[in-house]
Amino acid sequence: MSVLSQLNIINVEGLSKRVNTLEGELTILSDINFAVKPGESVAIVGASGSGKSTLLSLLAGLDVASSGDVHLDGEALSKLDEEQRARIRAEKVGFVFQSFMLVQSLTALENVMLPAELAGDHSAKEQAVELLKKVGLEHRLGHYPSQLSGGEQQRVAIARAFIGTPKILFADEPSANLDTKNGHIIENLLFDLNKQNGTTLILVTHDEQLAQQCDRIIHIEGGMLEQIREGVTANVG
Amino acid sequence: MWVKLAFKLFSREFRRGELSIIFAAIALAVLTVFSLASVTERIGLNIEQKTADFIAADRRLSSNHEFEPIVQKTAEEFGLETAEMLFFDSMLFANDELVLGSVKAVSSAYPLKGQVELKDNLEGQSYPIRGAPDPGTLWLSEGLFYSMGLKVGDTVELGAGEFTVAKVLMSEPDAPLFSLAGNKRVLLNYVDIERTQAVQPGSRVFHRLLFSGSEQALVDYYAWLKPQLKPNQSWQGIKDRQSPLGENLARAERFLLLAGLFGIMLAAVAMAVSAKRYCERQYDPVAMMKTLGGSRATVRKIFLTHLTLVTLFSIVIGLVIGSVLQSVAADYLANFMDTTLPEAGAKPWLLAVFIGLVCALMFSLKPLLDLFDIPPLRVLRRNLGDSLALSKVHIGVSILTIFVLMWLFSGQIITTLVLFVSTLLVIGVLFGISRLIFAAGRKLGLRPGSSWSLAIATLQKRANTNAVQLITFALAIKLMLFLVVLKNDMISDWQMQVPEDAPNMFLINIAEDEISPIKQYFDENQITHEAFFPVFNARVNAVNGEEFARRVSKQEGEEQDENARQGVNREPNLTWLDEVPEGNEIVEGEWFSDSERLEVSVFDGWKERLDLKLGDEIEFLINEQKFTATVTSFRTVDWGTLKPNFVMILSPNFAGKIPVTYFSAAKLEAQHTEGISKLLQQYPTISMIDIKNRIQQAQSMISQVSLAIGFVLMIVLFSGALVLISQVQASLAERMQEVVILRTLGAKGSLIKLATLYEFLLLGAIAGVVAALVSDIALLVIQQQLFGVDGRLHPYIWILGPLAGASFVAFIGYFMVAKTMRQNTQKLLRSLA
Repeated sequence: MSVLSQLNIINVEGLSKRVNTLEGELTILSDINFAVKPGESVAIVGASGSGKSTLLSLLAGLDVASSGDVHLDGEALSKLDEEQRARIRAEKVGFVFQSFMLVQSLTALENVMLPAELAGDHSAKEQAVELLKKVGLEHRLGHYPSQLSGGEQQRVAIARAFIGTPKILFADEPSANLDTKNGHIIENLLFDLNKQNGTTLILVTHDEQLAQQCDRIIHIEGGMLEQIREGVTANVG
Repeated sequence: MWVKLAFKLFSREFRRGELSIIFAAIALAVLTVFSLASVTERIGLNIEQKTADFIAADRRLSSNHEFEPIVQKTAEEFGLETAEMLFFDSMLFANDELVLGSVKAVSSAYPLKGQVELKDNLEGQSYPIRGAPDPGTLWLSEGLFYSMGLKVGDTVELGAGEFTVAKVLMSEPDAPLFSLAGNKRVLLNYVDIERTQAVQPGSRVFHRLLFSGSEQALVDYYAWLKPQLKPNQSWQGIKDRQSPLGENLARAERFLLLAGLFGIMLAAVAMAVSAKRYCERQYDPVAMMKTLGGSRATVRKIFLTHLTLVTLFSIVIGLVIGSVLQSVAADYLANFMDTTLPEAGAKPWLLAVFIGLVCALMFSLKPLLDLFDIPPLRVLRRNLGDSLALSKVHIGVSILTIFVLMWLFSGQIITTLVLFVSTLLVIGVLFGISRLIFAAGRKLGLRPGSSWSLAIATLQKRANTNAVQLITFALAIKLMLFLVVLKNDMISDWQMQVPEDAPNMFLINIAEDEISPIKQYFDENQITHEAFFPVFNARVNAVNGEEFARRVSKQEGEEQDENARQGVNREPNLTWLDEVPEGNEIVEGEWFSDSERLEVSVFDGWKERLDLKLGDEIEFLINEQKFTATVTSFRTVDWGTLKPNFVMILSPNFAGKIPVTYFSAAKLEAQHTEGISKLLQQYPTISMIDIKNRIQQAQSMISQVSLAIGFVLMIVLFSGALVLISQVQASLAERMQEVVILRTLGAKGSLIKLATLYEFLLLGAIAGVVAALVSDIALLVIQQQLFGVDGRLHPYIWILGPLAGASFVAFIGYFMVAKTMRQNTQKLLRSLA
């Protein structure tokens, strides 16, 4: 790895993912190469089934590549086992999902505390309260997910994603399950917190407008990297 | 950190009711096993105690000859209590009356179990005591007072000795259930035997030693005694088959054992279902934890903590509820029976805890391992890990665990195998049926939008889930039907043995001319009675010309035939009869022909003992006269009834060949006692055998055992109901999702409710039919193999099974789904989000 590439927080080199199906081997991603600088926001766009969610799962170390590698903050994920990848996620990564993925038996506060608790952080509660304040849910700390609206649940998920100040945040269609108004609130929150914390944001979306807010846009089609272009904000900035 | 998180998650999951099914299943297993084990143990101990009363000891040793002193001495060294008894007949003389009494001399430790009932005088109240008459005194039965005109305090000569009549003897715990020894009972102190001078060398006497003590000491002592037993000595315990009560006791024990097995089986099914469901519900949280950086080790620790907590908690609750339940039941039984039940030992506690632990571990092991393996990628690919849900390993481990649990609990491989294989049969048949029905349903062109078509569509859609549900329903129904039938059969069998109108008094030694006045007395007092049987004593002298004595000696070195009853000797009581007596069945040969030769029908149990076959010639010696009869049939005899039974019955053409006396039986009420005694005073040769107390004892024991069985059945029914509920609840989440979709699409509440009702009605009815089918087949085997009774089909369960299945399952299903219908659609949608 070159000195220049060491400055990148994510380096993707010749990344491919193939799966075996009844009809034979299916290539989902083929020879993907790109790099992301610290603090940069990158949107991964593409049609349904283009392979963008698979790319996200490989970047976050949730899945392993068939060939090629991902270097996450200097660590080659292909050389790590599941436990080591989990440790990296605990230390450096935050997530926001389309379907919120909150633990139903925990309150809003406890859901936000969860990653910090898993990492053994004793200041989990203070951090969680602070973050919930930032997302405007300080009055909903003791509520369970089923007692919150969709928008509120996603705000809890965003607060959870930022606890422990991760270096990288992965967001998978964060506003897709929400109405336009709530969707915008979530998107703004995500970008604001991202900027405040200097976090690198990798955002998977099929919403072109949302993608435009990122520094760069990676376009995937049929499992191949079609183009990388700069977002509107990058031009403005 | 993980500890805090584990406890937090546990308390939340618990409050949310996510753990309630798994909790209920373990608690159910524990409370079922505990309450069954302790109630059966307590009742078992009580029955044993009561039955021990019937022989006045835990074990007894009988002999025609005096025992070597070492026999009793060694028993005492083994820590056993002993009492000596000697039986002989001797003449009693008082008030110019001479009567032959049957004397029982007992040492002062008598009776070791049970009590003797006495009255201070003829008019007094009877009371129970333990003990023997003081030396120099006698206790005489009521009949002797009337026939000799005696009162308490009078002097009576017995043999060569003079004795004071001290008490009226009302009952002895070990009085013979049925013997022709007469009711002229005399109880004498063992030390007074010599004073009577009635026992001389060559006298016909019968010796008996009574033993009581711990089971272990008894077993150890018998191990010492067995090699030294002489052929004419027999060792008897309360469970020996000689006693009809022993037989009933053994059957009741087997029933309770079966019920315990069913309880375990049902709880195990509930546990397996709920453990799998709980783990499946944790797939998303686990995937999320792993995504957020939680290590596999952390996840493992969190969920193993859950399992430990839920196991401990449910075992404790199971034990608490179980102990309350068993003490309520035991108190109820004790009150009802006017007795106290002995406390159970540590075994039920240990067994229940052990079974709770095994259930918790074995049934949740595979689902838990699957849970640990859930990939974090599930957060993105939502169905990842679902394929783990139907694991063959889990099913295999669960089935094996159930088998091992049943085997451990019962210690009987055959019973376990029969139940187990019949259960596997239910599963196999149901799987086939469910496939067929769900496939055939597609061809039914039902009107779209009707509740029926929605019900069938739902059934088809969830073919796999439904197959599992169907199997669980059928299993629960099968086990319940099985026990209901067995209970009914067993109790009706017992009631047949001691029917309400069973005779409670036997008259023997009736001369031919005495029949009509006695019959007249019976008729005038509306006393139900049986026919007057001719009866005579005969010695079996030879078979096919070979001397009998020699034939028997050939057998003497061998083990005693287990069917051999006390009182059956080489001089049996014989009769002649026109028809096969009630309760007897010809198993070989034919009942008497019209032939002129003398024929004999022999008890099947004697066939091997005397090495007999059809056509053999038996020579009888009756009053110095020899008669030869041809064996033309062998009969089974139901010794379990209180009816008189005969080992050998001669053909009716024997009538008139020798002088005989007659024998009859009647059911007397308390007010007849004095009348019949006065009547019999006119015919001093007639003896009366009063078995009222014996019948009452037997009936009270039957009702106690019936109650116990009813209680056990209730527990098992309750377990079955919980299994059904847990299974319906397990499918509720999926069902809710459908309800929401249907409601959102505008389906009327009544349509959904009806569709659910029909779906469960169908499921319940199909499960009921299969359950009835398999139960009846398994019952045929179990009744023959385990209970030693003829298996028979039970048409009523063919109706009861589907009817109960359909209504029970539909009620629970409908009730649970109707509950969700009361919530508004928005609320439902949110709870599913």
